[in-house]
Amino acid sequence: MQNTPIPPHRRPLAQRLRAWAWPITLMALAVFAQTLLTGWNRITPPAKEIPAGPVQNLAGGYATSATCRSCHPGQHASWHASYHRTMTQAARPDTVPESMNGLELTLGDRRYRVDRRADEFLVREGPVDGGTDSLGPPRRLVLLTGSHHQQNFWIETGQGNALEAFPFGWLIADRRWAPLTDTFLCPPGVTQGRSQGVWNNGCINCHSTQGRPGISADGIIDSQVAELGIACESCHGGGEEHVQRHRNPLRRYLSHLTGGGDDLIANPGRMSGPEASLACGQCHSVWAFQSAADAVRWNHEGRTFRPGDASLQERFVVQPAEDPGALAKAGQQMGDPHLVENSFWGDGRVRVTGREYNGVEASPCFKGGDFSCQSCHQMHRTDTRRDGLTAWAASQMQAGATGNQACLQCHGAFNDPAALTKHTRHAASSEGSSCYNCHMPYSSFGLMRAVRSHQVSVPDVRESAEWGRPNACNLCHLDRPLAWTAEHLKTWYGQTPPALGRDDHEIAASVKWILQGDAGQRALAAWSMGWAPAQSASGRHWISPFLANTLNDPYAAVRYVAWKALLTLPGFADYPFDYTAPDDETFAAATAAYQRSLDLRQRQIAPPAFNPATLLDKEGRFIEAPFQRLLDTRDQRAVYLIE
Amino acid sequence: MTPHPSASLRHLRLGSWALAVGLLLGLVLEMLHGFKSGWYLDVGNETRRTMLMLAHTHGTLVALLHIVAGIVVRVCDRPVVSRFASAALIAGLLLPLGFLAGAFGVHGGDPGPGILLAPIGGVALLAGVVSLAVGLSRRS
Repeated sequence: MQNTPIPPHRRPLAQRLRAWAWPITLMALAVFAQTLLTGWNRITPPAKEIPAGPVQNLAGGYATSATCRSCHPGQHASWHASYHRTMTQAARPDTVPESMNGLELTLGDRRYRVDRRADEFLVREGPVDGGTDSLGPPRRLVLLTGSHHQQNFWIETGQGNALEAFPFGWLIADRRWAPLTDTFLCPPGVTQGRSQGVWNNGCINCHSTQGRPGISADGIIDSQVAELGIACESCHGGGEEHVQRHRNPLRRYLSHLTGGGDDLIANPGRMSGPEASLACGQCHSVWAFQSAADAVRWNHEGRTFRPGDASLQERFVVQPAEDPGALAKAGQQMGDPHLVENSFWGDGRVRVTGREYNGVEASPCFKGGDFSCQSCHQMHRTDTRRDGLTAWAASQMQAGATGNQACLQCHGAFNDPAALTKHTRHAASSEGSSCYNCHMPYSSFGLMRAVRSHQVSVPDVRESAEWGRPNACNLCHLDRPLAWTAEHLKTWYGQTPPALGRDDHEIAASVKWILQGDAGQRALAAWSMGWAPAQSASGRHWISPFLANTLNDPYAAVRYVAWKALLTLPGFADYPFDYTAPDDETFAAATAAYQRSLDLRQRQIAPPAFNPATLLDKEGRFIEAPFQRLLDTRDQRAVYLIE
Repeated sequence: MTPHPSASLRHLRLGSWALAVGLLLGLVLEMLHGFKSGWYLDVGNETRRTMLMLAHTHGTLVALLHIVAGIVVRVCDRPVVSRFASAALIAGLLLPLGFLAGAFGVHGGDPGPGILLAPIGGVALLAGVVSLAVGLSRRS
């Protein structure tokens, strides 16, 4: 290296530094000021203001789904496509229905108007006969729950972050608004089903991740959540420690190579059947608090259950069949005995959807150990193609588990069509040889539709005769009486027939259910009348008068289901009906539909004969005496099937 | 500084071949896009897709770097590429190779074990470029 003089065009280092002195000094001052400001803010936090909606709180070791994504992109993708994710969302232009802006609805003597301001939606309420000036002050629409079948909306109240239900729900498939109480099966005239604070002490539990109701003794509500919607940590528990441990790539690759799990994170896929199922059952069950003290603690802190626990901790799953005192205890602890009681058939089997764990736990399959919700369902689909994910998200079934394959995993003997036919007495390819149809019939109800019972069981006429629950056979063979079913079950399987009354020998079971049953039975019967396998087994020619008559049912949900079933029948595909209309209009629509069914039959050259058990004369009219008698003896008790 | 007599040709040859492979990989990726291959495009295969894209881009750029290096050796009237720089630039090919290998045996968000080649290649490439810069900065 030889010494060379500094070229004349280059300034000395000191001179060059001086040129940068001012900018560097200014930047240093700015950084110093920012540091001071940040430090000051830490020392003197602003007075606590509870925002309108729930606050995110990651205390307890939560990390959120955004953190999980970087290491588990496939699992994140399938969860992201699921309806679990969108079970609760912030109300934004991209999450609410398009018709929300400028929405005007009336309910009773109240009028509601929703307007968009920037990305917010403001609700104003006033008397129905007043002008725009009569509307009250605007309140922000904060959250919405649901995204699969229907959406419900929550408005700020100004009382902490307590939320109040917007009194209308959005039925997604129908693209229509309906009074909130008409989107659940509940008695007519119920108007205060979901009032202020219900989201904060009810929905928050299962429609968000690690919700903390934050209801203090002085009544102030400061609800917090780890994440809106049902995210990764609902099933896997708080992931913060797991994330910290696995930031180290060597640890990650070691874990990949050894195939070992991580004891810092719960993984239902590695749990025993009961523990894995309880991860689902923490929400999908009818539960109640163990004690009043537990209820108070829960209403403030939220649940202490973590996936992998063997019990719900401060709560218990209500199983009236196993514990006869469970219903009374649950009713007392939950403060609403009717709601709990309504969730069960008389023999203790759950009858409302969304509570499938009760059925799974009571199933004979569950007693073995490995059987769990994941035997049929999968929370993460391996194939993450978008179209496949969309179809999968509807029920999150395992590949192949939509058919008999689900049961054949254990009951492999019925893989042989001959063995299957011998067992079912139906053709192997028919709906009568579907494991699901016989052992998990559509005897639960919720979200305006019938849902399969998740208590795997053997069809038995006794369940219908004693408890009123539609049995699997008559949910398909709608035109047959219970006695017909009892005779077949006796001949084929040696079941002892129960004592049956005269009507059960002469009147089709579905006719009894839809005319004489309680609102839940009527809804199930009406739904089954629109179910293709039942129409195939029982014929469609006799169904329309019953569905027409049910359009005038006192329960809005039953009217809705009947209308949907009616639309599946020839001549009714375009039948207009507003199931939320006033009584006189639904009566007129029911009368017109009945008349249409008579006209359609009259136009037929050789109309098929009716089974006498259907109580229809040859023209398709109701045989008046038994029809009226069944109506007069209808089970009028108030039924709430709130999922 | 001892210029290798065939350094220019070696870099040009290597660069051309690497460029061909990089472009071929680009064509393959376009084809996977065209046929909407789930193996490449599914959201669950994001890590694999990222690795292949990185292999394609880095492979092409490293190839161009070799071609540039070969031209530099040829046009400069003095030796500017040391043996070390030459070897380091060649070792820099481990960077795209590591990304390519990492696309196989993906585990969730983690690439396959072949990704270990990438940081080695990256360091070598950096060393080679720095060495080249030093060589170019020296006065004859």
